Amino acid sequence: MTKENVQGAGEEEQQAQSKKALKKQQKEAEKAAKKAEKQAKLAAEQQETDEDDFAKDRYGICPMVQSQQKLDRALVRVQDLTPEKAEQQIWVRARIHTSRAKGKQCFLVLRHQQFTVQALLAVGERASKQMVKFAANLTKESIIDVEAVVKKVEQKIESCSQQDVELHVERIFVISQSEARLPLQLEDAVRPEGEGDEEGRATVNQDTRLDNRVIDLRTTTSQAIFRLQSGVCQLFRDTLINKGFVEIQTPKIISAASEGGANVFTVSYFKTSAYLAQSPQLYKQMCICADFDKVFCVGPVFRAEDSNTHRHLTEFVGLDIEMAFNYHYHEVIDSITDTMVQIFKGLRDRFQTEIQTVNKQYPSEPFKFLEPTLRLEYKEAVAMLKAAGVEMGDEEDLSTPNEKLLGRLVKEKYDTDFYVLDKYPLAVRPFYTMPDPNNPKYSNSYDMFMRGEEILSGAQRIHDAQLLTERAMHHSIDLEKIKAYIDSFRYGAPPHAGGGIGLERVTMLYLGLHNVRQTSMFPRDPKRLTP
Amino acid sequence: MPMYKVKPVSPADIKIDVPSCMYKSPNVHGHGMNCGEHALQNGEVDPSLKALEERQDEVLRRLYELKATVDGFAKTVTTPDADLDASTPSPGPAESVFKGTADLDSLLGKDLGALRDIVINANPARPPLSLLVLHALLCQRYQVLSSVHVHSSVSAVPPPLLSCLGPRHIDSYARQRFQLGFTLIWKDVSELQMKFSTQSMCPIEGEANVARFLFRLLGAEPQDPAAATQMDCWIDKAVFQLSEGGSKDRAAVLRSLNAALGRSPWLLGQEFSLADIVCACFVLRAGQTTSAPVNVQRWLKSCQNLGHFDCVYPFLQ
Repeated sequence: MTKENVQGAGEEEQQAQSKKALKKQQKEAEKAAKKAEKQAKLAAEQQETDEDDFAKDRYGICPMVQSQQKLDRALVRVQDLTPEKAEQQIWVRARIHTSRAKGKQCFLVLRHQQFTVQALLAVGERASKQMVKFAANLTKESIIDVEAVVKKVEQKIESCSQQDVELHVERIFVISQSEARLPLQLEDAVRPEGEGDEEGRATVNQDTRLDNRVIDLRTTTSQAIFRLQSGVCQLFRDTLINKGFVEIQTPKIISAASEGGANVFTVSYFKTSAYLAQSPQLYKQMCICADFDKVFCVGPVFRAEDSNTHRHLTEFVGLDIEMAFNYHYHEVIDSITDTMVQIFKGLRDRFQTEIQTVNKQYPSEPFKFLEPTLRLEYKEAVAMLKAAGVEMGDEEDLSTPNEKLLGRLVKEKYDTDFYVLDKYPLAVRPFYTMPDPNNPKYSNSYDMFMRGEEILSGAQRIHDAQLLTERAMHHSIDLEKIKAYIDSFRYGAPPHAGGGIGLERVTMLYLGLHNVRQTSMFPRDPKRLTP
Repeated sequence: MPMYKVKPVSPADIKIDVPSCMYKSPNVHGHGMNCGEHALQNGEVDPSLKALEERQDEVLRRLYELKATVDGFAKTVTTPDADLDASTPSPGPAESVFKGTADLDSLLGKDLGALRDIVINANPARPPLSLLVLHALLCQRYQVLSSVHVHSSVSAVPPPLLSCLGPRHIDSYARQRFQLGFTLIWKDVSELQMKFSTQSMCPIEGEANVARFLFRLLGAEPQDPAAATQMDCWIDKAVFQLSEGGSKDRAAVLRSLNAALGRSPWLLGQEFSLADIVCACFVLRAGQTTSAPVNVQRWLKSCQNLGHFDCVYPFLQ
């Protein structure tokens, strides 16, 4: 029986073997067939590439520009590609924004700053298949030089900034190649938040943006924001120079903390330590006592506040004004508000393109203001808040939510996003604020608000050494530390007042953005020190 | 030498046919007049003359009585509760036209220690002339802090519009010293708008409606409902027919103004009122005042004489 079994098993084994063998053979046959196919394909491709590449010298990667030669070639900016240049053959240097191959054609979108234009490369008598393949494989963000003919298009290209023309590429060379994997995609960086959530497409986190600031700054929105910020600074300077102000530079390494001990950075200074200036206050005032009458300064301000809010930075650019007046500190308020209004008007009239670009990603209401600027008194503000149901004392400082509510109430009644609140209670202001002559509980101080958020805090300063000493003692400040400051008023000091604004905050509020880091190029806050 | 002799032109004795309705008086120059007979001595009066005088007195007295009764009737018909001897001339110079009192607290809400600011948004293409007149009247009654602003929606405004509320008050730095604020903002709005207390009041739209609100602050509203309705009627006529209607409507309003002003110096009778302010401003703005009917022109002159309308004239072309 066992013999039979064995025999039977042997037979079965044989059968199984032959089955297995069959399967094996089949598999091998398939493999061989596939291999043969592949080889055939490769051979065919080889054939293709070996085919005459007649466009070999019209594309490629240029050697690194080490100033080898001085080419007499005029590069046209993407911004200037308009129907007027139709049929001209020109050179353009731009980045590859996107590239898309479709059979025998390749569509490229070239970008330079805020401007984009479509470029087309098609297989034909000027371009070979290899050239189109090369163009399709170029990485995004690479900088390329393109020689092309400008062609008018009948249908507007909605997705580009230059909508009436397109480029037909003749030659294409790479000047600087970008790595294939980008840390963030520019299209995602420009996408509005709502759209991202709705369509399930990605938007970029703020932290990612700030970590890869160099790429994030290339987006059209960022370009627009910082151009507008540059405009703010320029308008500030121009307006004040026209009013007869002198620009000064004040030291940032100082020996004593001016506003208060807590929020100041310490640096080691040879054998001792020094502080980074919290504001140019002391030095502005000293300049007034030195007969400069009207001064302003633009420079960094360092505040070591551990507040991680949407509107605080540890380092920001401060635009500060100080002015001597004749009889009443309202002369200074009028001057400051007029400067702000001139800045707003300049932005409204000359930077509309930038404002519209920012609004595409961050929609907001246009900024409204009155000329001359609306000035309300603190008591009126308290009355308005009380009428709206807020409980607060007459001499209490305004909390941030109250400030925002007040901003909304003022907007409703007067339709302005910018106003001045005058005559703050004395108790909530710094020691150098001049008290109100008629009511000792109030002071000659003022705050200015944009869109309900404070942008400027200013006051008439005490210019009498005696009164200054009294007020400092009242605030329990160590007189030794501010001796130099008090001394500067001992030898005849004119009555003066002033205030300062933060450039980033003003830009943020003007555009209606929600985080000051968007308007600071390389922001500094308690958690960020690089880039 | 013989003198030049003129031949007589007419014969001496012509029979003249004297009409019988004339009475004959005795010929003083005739012959045969005996002075002694008819002389009146010592102030004696001829009895017939006396009788005549008496009759004349009687007639005149009866005439006066009739006239007085008729006047009385006329007055009771046209002015319900006027004094019978109240035929006063037009009000004098601008000093105190309206003597009523208004309770600001009840009209504007409790004073919370802050300036009560009335905000008016107007389009610079259509300056609200009647509101400028009312502003002048308010300044006489209260301490008003007036300010003019230009909104960012308007790029430029001609200088007269910036100073239309008069020169800046000396004390304008101390807002608390004023009872009322009057803030005029030149803005790109389709309809004139007034805002006061955004929490408790909705905005008021339309020049006529804002005018009614401001007039109430002067405390000079007519107490009588019939007069008040008439005032509203005139204001509505001015708004809908004078300014928004066609030339036919305008002509009709001018005719009815003319008719009304023929009967009394002001539209509501003897008192200057809001109806006069609004209608005069709209008539002046429509232009062609020289071709307006007589009474209308006289009335416009009286308005001008009051002095409140001086602020309006710079804006008429």
